[in-house]
Amino acid sequence: MGGIQKKKYERGSATNYITRNRARKKLMLSLPDFRRLCILKGIYPHEPKHKKKVNKGSTAPRTFYLLKDIRFLLHEPIVSKFREYKIFVRKLRRAYGKTEWSAVERLKENKPAYKLDHIVKERYPTFIDALRDIDDALCMCFLFSTFARTGKCHVQTIQLCRRLTVEWMNYVIASRALRKVFLSIKGIYYQAEVMGQLITWLVPYQFSHDHPTDVDYRVMATFTELYTTLLGFVNFRLYQSLNLVYPPKKLSALSSSLARVVSSSEEEEAKLDQFPDEEEQKQLETQKKIFEGLKFFINREVPRESLAFVIRCFGGQVSWDKSVCIGSTYDVTDETITHQIVDRPNVDKQYMNRYYIQPQWVYDCVNTKMRLPVEDYFLGVTLPPHLSPFVEEKEGDYVPPEKLKIMALQRGEKPDEEEDEEEEEEEEEDENEEEEDDEEEAEEKNLKKMEEQRSQGKSLQVKVTPGKVKAENRARLEQEEKAEEKRLAIMMMKKKEKYLYDKIMFGKKRQVREANKLAAKRKAHDDAEKAKKKKARK
Amino acid sequence: MAARRRLKRVAASQSGFLSFKSPSDTTASVGSRRKRVNKNKKKNWNKYSDVNDVDEFLEDIRHQERTTGGLLSEKTDDSLFFLDLGQPEKPQPQAETPQADEGKKRRGKASRPLRIDLILQPDSLVPPPKDILAYQQPNAKKLRRIAQKAEQLAAKGVVPRKQKRLLNRRPVDKTVKKAVTEANNNPDRDYYDIWGQEPKVSADPWYLQQTGKKLVKRPEKLNEKPSVLPAVEVIAPGGSYNPDFFSHQALLQEAHQVEVQKKKQEDKLERQLAINKEDKATEETNLREQVEGLVEEEEENNVEESAPSKEDEEAALAAIAVTQKKTEKQIKKEKAEKLKEQQRLTSRRQTEQQQQLFQLRSIKASIRQQEEKTKSKQMQRRAKQEAQKAQPRRLGKLKFQAPDLDVQLSDELAGSLRQLKPEGSILKDRFKSFQKRNLIEPRERAKFKRKLKVKYVEKRAFKEIT
Repeated sequence: MGGIQKKKYERGSATNYITRNRARKKLMLSLPDFRRLCILKGIYPHEPKHKKKVNKGSTAPRTFYLLKDIRFLLHEPIVSKFREYKIFVRKLRRAYGKTEWSAVERLKENKPAYKLDHIVKERYPTFIDALRDIDDALCMCFLFSTFARTGKCHVQTIQLCRRLTVEWMNYVIASRALRKVFLSIKGIYYQAEVMGQLITWLVPYQFSHDHPTDVDYRVMATFTELYTTLLGFVNFRLYQSLNLVYPPKKLSALSSSLARVVSSSEEEEAKLDQFPDEEEQKQLETQKKIFEGLKFFINREVPRESLAFVIRCFGGQVSWDKSVCIGSTYDVTDETITHQIVDRPNVDKQYMNRYYIQPQWVYDCVNTKMRLPVEDYFLGVTLPPHLSPFVEEKEGDYVPPEKLKIMALQRGEKPDEEEDEEEEEEEEEDENEEEEDDEEEAEEKNLKKMEEQRSQGKSLQVKVTPGKVKAENRARLEQEEKAEEKRLAIMMMKKKEKYLYDKIMFGKKRQVREANKLAAKRKAHDDAEKAKKKKARK
Repeated sequence: MAARRRLKRVAASQSGFLSFKSPSDTTASVGSRRKRVNKNKKKNWNKYSDVNDVDEFLEDIRHQERTTGGLLSEKTDDSLFFLDLGQPEKPQPQAETPQADEGKKRRGKASRPLRIDLILQPDSLVPPPKDILAYQQPNAKKLRRIAQKAEQLAAKGVVPRKQKRLLNRRPVDKTVKKAVTEANNNPDRDYYDIWGQEPKVSADPWYLQQTGKKLVKRPEKLNEKPSVLPAVEVIAPGGSYNPDFFSHQALLQEAHQVEVQKKKQEDKLERQLAINKEDKATEETNLREQVEGLVEEEEENNVEESAPSKEDEEAALAAIAVTQKKTEKQIKKEKAEKLKEQQRLTSRRQTEQQQQLFQLRSIKASIRQQEEKTKSKQMQRRAKQEAQKAQPRRLGKLKFQAPDLDVQLSDELAGSLRQLKPEGSILKDRFKSFQKRNLIEPRERAKFKRKLKVKYVEKRAFKEIT
């Protein structure tokens, strides 16, 4: 054994990782500052594959960071800003303690502040990178904008978030980018398509708010700090792409349009004309204008912002009561209002030429990309269920009958009549079925009689009637031929192959079986409801 | 002696003061002899002039002015006297007056000022003299003249130099506090095109690097996302505020499964901790345990133990003696056996090799089977790895606790948007999402740890009772 002995844990993975405390000491920062720095720079802890090696033989749970990441952090200029802030706090506390108020004023005026622009540029070198990560940023900004303005987090952050979210919503309205909306029990999910990227974000309801205690507010505030910066720059770029002036003025109410700010509107229309006339484009265009020409009025008890946003995204005009918020353009008494959105069981004064509907109509129209019949959403009517547009059903899966109806509507088939008429139809169908059953029974009886007669050796009194020529469908013939061929091929398979084939078909048919089961359940459920209704009527 | 005489003189000069000597004596002895005093000297004005009457008169006048605000002789008759014509009739009923009096009394008591305050007020009706100094301005005339001149000039249009300079001065820009505008969360901060601009690399790169102004390049590995999960996971269709029956049931079923798993875990623990009732210690068994080995059956045990041990020793000795004799033969035998074994093995190996030629097909089949096994195992392992990527990593002391499913029971479902009661908190949801995607390590609220133990001490009073 010549030469220097190799010592354990001096090479390989053990030297690539560093524990959190070591990293913190290397950077000379306190733990909350270190956490903040890591969040801002996008440096995340890693779980090493062989923990025992990295941890030098022990399996104690520790947080590990890559050593190269920490070395990269050392060059960050805002690290010095953190240290300056620490010193500033110390000096301020001293001045307070000695009650030197002039010193306090002076220190407060020169409070060290840092900007995160270079970090955003470093983490998202291109605009498309930033757009990919904008989901998180939108969720956090919308969440913070709904916070109450108590002192828990900086009021300026809340104001900034509010401004950025309103700007984003106005951009989506101007570019007609909204595609899907889903009202869930948690909040409202939106999905928009911006520059080819699908962006999903979640907005809480305005009227909820319990602040849970086990959430770390400092961490969330740090994330928000970074995301507000990012969202601001993204907004600027998006507005620039539409040739709109940034920052836009007088936007808080979402009722004013952005077109008044620039000469852009003409350019926009010119751009639209230049699109090649493809079918898909046409479809998309019509889909973007579902509410074109309609005038809406939102009642006081309905969530105004969400509805205003959605309606304006699809070309409609919207207004609300003056006492709710600034920016209402027309009043309840306006005669040209076509739809009024109400959520109460009844309204006092009813105008003649407008529909009174519940808010779900708007969202369902957006999801099905067409104007649904308004009758199902009148006041006091039980609404059809609000289906999620984020679910894509595969073949053979269970599809709720409401969705089937909607798909039929989309294909352009005649919409079903109202519920009462439906029920009557169903009743008639039932009666028909019963009649048919009776007929069948009668036929069976006849057959039995004939058999008996045959067995008894009597000649059947069967008449030979001229045969009817069945209209042969060519398509049907082809299908039958194909089926025949398939059956032959199956018969000619070897045993092993047939075994595999059976297995595959079993698996495929399983889904269909499940769907049938669920459909049967649904039918049973509907029948039970109908029976209940009948009882109630009687 | 001179002082005494002076005193006597002074006393005698003041009216009403009886001198020490009796009047009969003084008049008789001194009588006509009166000292001649020069009243023209200032020294004697105080001593010998009698101004008491004047003093009295003036005092009287001052007293009148203080108390009544003027000389009584100058007052009108009406202010001093009134004609007493008897009490007028009171038309009000008697019942009210006591109440009114009581009210007044109470109010009067509350509203009447304190006597100590009254005593300290000035009660003289003579008004205090005007403070002339307050109106005196030594250069009033000069100032008046200057003001008049300035008015005349202003009327003409001539502006004094100072005013001209003041008007020409540039207006001060009211600067908002630098700290507020520079802060990152200033609500009025402006953004610019961060991706469009070219970087301001004007200086030499070597210079920038040496002075530490060059921005270090971000390592490529940091651009990878720590998790493949999407940022926002949309809730299942059963989570709609007005869900379809079956999707809602499916969601409820999932939540139910979670609860069932929890219950199973608890039951498992309970089962593991359960002990038979009969195995529990009773007093009897305790006693028996303690008394074991102490009862008087020792002698029999000793006898039994000694016998078997002897036999063992003999057997051991015998064994050793026997082996020594036969070892050499044994060694030779063993060697021969070994050789035989080796030969057998080599011949066997040869025959096997020859036979393998005929076994090729089965060998191929077995190889193929092994390969398939390894392939399937590889696929499984890869699938497992992929699944692992979607799992949250273990970063730090705490494990990731999956958040509870947000679900509303059938009777909690609201029929309309107005009656909807939102479930779950988005703040918590986002926090958990960050943990799930390995952006932060799972954290829980810090517990309150006491550095010093709390000591409970009874109060003295209670100590006496208990």
